[in-house]
Amino acid sequence: MDGLILDMRNMRKSFLGQAALRGVDFSLHAGEIHALIGENGAGKTTLMNILGGVVLPDAGEILVNGRHAFIPTPAASHRLGISFIHQELNLVNDLRVYENFFLGAELRTAIGFVDEQAMCARTAEILGTLDVAIDPREMVGALDASYKQVVEIGRALLANAKILIMDEPTTSLTDHEIRYLFTVMRSLAQSGVSVIFISHKLKEVLTVCDGYTVLRDGSVAGSGRVSPSVSEEDLARLMVGREMAVEHFYEPRPLGGTVLAAEHLSSDRSFRDVSFELRRGEILGFTGLVGDGRTELFECIFGSRRKTGGRLVVEGAPRNLTHPQKALAAGIGLAPKNRKENALIKDFSVRSNATIARLRGFLRGPFIDSRREELRTQEHVKNLNIKVTDINLPITSLSGGNQQKVVLAKWIEAGSRIMILDNPTQGIDVGAKAEIYHIVMRMAREGKSIIILSSEIPEVLKVCDRVAVMYHGELVGILDRDNATEENVMMYATGAKRRADALQQERSHA
Amino acid sequence: MSVQSRYQTIRRHPVAGPIVRFVAENSAIVALLAMVIIATVLAGSSFLSEANIINILRNDSIIGVISLGMTLIIISGGIDLSVGSALVLVGAGGIWVLNMTHSIPLSLITTVVGGLAMGSVNGTIITRGRVTPFIATLGTMATCRSLALYLLNGGGISANVQQYEIISNGDLFGISYPVIYFVILTALVYVFSQKTPLGRYIYAVGSNEKASHLSAINVNRVKLLTYAISGAMVGVAAIIETSRLNSVSAASSGTGYELDAIAAVIIGGTRMSGGKGSVIGTFFGVLILGILSNMLTLMGVSPFATGTVKGIIIIVSVLVQRKE
Repeated sequence: MDGLILDMRNMRKSFLGQAALRGVDFSLHAGEIHALIGENGAGKTTLMNILGGVVLPDAGEILVNGRHAFIPTPAASHRLGISFIHQELNLVNDLRVYENFFLGAELRTAIGFVDEQAMCARTAEILGTLDVAIDPREMVGALDASYKQVVEIGRALLANAKILIMDEPTTSLTDHEIRYLFTVMRSLAQSGVSVIFISHKLKEVLTVCDGYTVLRDGSVAGSGRVSPSVSEEDLARLMVGREMAVEHFYEPRPLGGTVLAAEHLSSDRSFRDVSFELRRGEILGFTGLVGDGRTELFECIFGSRRKTGGRLVVEGAPRNLTHPQKALAAGIGLAPKNRKENALIKDFSVRSNATIARLRGFLRGPFIDSRREELRTQEHVKNLNIKVTDINLPITSLSGGNQQKVVLAKWIEAGSRIMILDNPTQGIDVGAKAEIYHIVMRMAREGKSIIILSSEIPEVLKVCDRVAVMYHGELVGILDRDNATEENVMMYATGAKRRADALQQERSHA
Repeated sequence: MSVQSRYQTIRRHPVAGPIVRFVAENSAIVALLAMVIIATVLAGSSFLSEANIINILRNDSIIGVISLGMTLIIISGGIDLSVGSALVLVGAGGIWVLNMTHSIPLSLITTVVGGLAMGSVNGTIITRGRVTPFIATLGTMATCRSLALYLLNGGGISANVQQYEIISNGDLFGISYPVIYFVILTALVYVFSQKTPLGRYIYAVGSNEKASHLSAINVNRVKLLTYAISGAMVGVAAIIETSRLNSVSAASSGTGYELDAIAAVIIGGTRMSGGKGSVIGTFFGVLILGILSNMLTLMGVSPFATGTVKGIIIIVSVLVQRKE
């Protein structure tokens, strides 16, 4: 085992009977940049949490520098020289670089005051080894996103980190910043520090990493060295796997005319030049990786985010939807992601949540007719099979799946003909998920048009007629159901397809 | 283990005894009853005398009317510190119009519309300017008071129409008019908050602003209207205040009203962060505050010490509600 700084063998972990890791081997050489890739829920987080001392494995052994290691706490992980840089950076913007470096462990002078000089000197020294020109006295808030990453890295080095875990560090960076971060990572590796690079972006993996390990469903789907013979397609195939169990929710049905047309929609930094059409009775999926701009796109279509360009045509009429109220009037409804924060009025009953978007429909004179309100809510409860003993109970007493059904009921009650469902099965158990898919299918049969936003490709494939894929704020492709294999979608979502096309175009021009 | 204990918490609520639940949900009423009993025991029959009760109600109806609007604002997730100062400014404006025109109706309309306008100014600063309610109304509080002091040269203004006094000092079957105004307005605001869409939107916005926005509620409009309604209430309170003494003093009228109103709302069980509460609770909150000072006075406690007791009651009532 020469040069192996980390060797995790046969790691197993279950949560409440659900296996998250089914015997994973993972090894890392000194001075290596190693990619850990896999879809959401493949087990990357669990594996890294074991390494970080956040969770204990059920079985398996960990060797650090050839010695058996037991990592029950994050502190133990730190002592072994392991540092975790999370996606959301753990920096205080209102403090200076050196203050962030030494936060909680400030150097002091003989009489007990903080020793600014010494801290600045040490900070400059570490930043120097990374070849970075950042003034230790600069405010962190004033730094570019990539420099903030570097400050985090520097802080890990200050703690004598030998293994650095970076969780999707490039998500919020521009191309230029990403290139810069990669240079820093390489000089780190040269100095003997090993980096575990968690990413969805296969191109980045092939650019910066020496080795890779792909997880799928809690097992290693493949691992090896990065070489010119390894392509993005290879990795995508490993991530997705060949065999896939698809339950059957989908039924082909005739579609009507266009009900929604987006023409070159743009919004400053979130998405650019997005055009698509939605037909009556159609279920259109939108997928992509984190930060692809799809949530922002539909916030904009729903009127809760300003668009900076383009045009929206709803049922033949151009619409300028500047507020959700106007979207509602145009027949558009949105079940947003993060249900608890964005969709539920937590102090309200099931009934009041179901009717809040269309209270005007229950008016008798100036007052709400609560009897009619109750009757209508009862109807929805029956139609959507919402499990609730009394519709006047608080919405928070329901399970996630039933809460989501109430959110759907709200928009059905509001008469929405176009329903946007953002991550509709978030935090919902398997049985309720299936029910939601059936409801979606039924609404489509009844002539509603539905858009489903999800980062889980299998979910999108379950019910959608077509799948639109976004990458970095652009709509890179719309695939028909027949062509929308997971592999294909992943090719678009990681930007691999686009680069291949660009290359081909270049060749044909030459 | 954690799953189980969480499960038990969910189960425990409906199983709790009806008395416990009544106390938890109507803490203001229970506290009021307790105070009446204590007051009667300590102060004797003088407390329960008809004259004394009416006296309590009359003194508190001004704070009461303000508290009704304040309840709506706090339910919507906001706060209004400017009510006392706004009361002086619009009250003075009303008397000025009265003296100029000798028309009581015109004066009343001016005062209420003036209050509504002040509320709208608050609402506009908060919604359009995206200033937090505390800061926005702190600013208008200082501004209104200063404007009143400047326009009245630091003094006051008296009405020169004698009948104006009747508004506050008359009575019906022995019940003084301000008490009647307060009770009627409480009923109106209650029905408004429970039965109209806007009333429900106020609760929704206070409970979850983001979800309200994404449920196609015009959050800014709801907030603006809430402050405007509260402003109109301040206008009504200004009428009661000015007609009681037939005058208003720029320096001393309305001082501390915002704190008393907020205290009444909190004691009434309305959640400070919004989304939950009721004007009925506030009604009792006002009575509790009133009985408290009255009781202390009858017991011969120094008026300087009443603030201490008031402060303790506020804190205790919040602690009790936390138990929920």
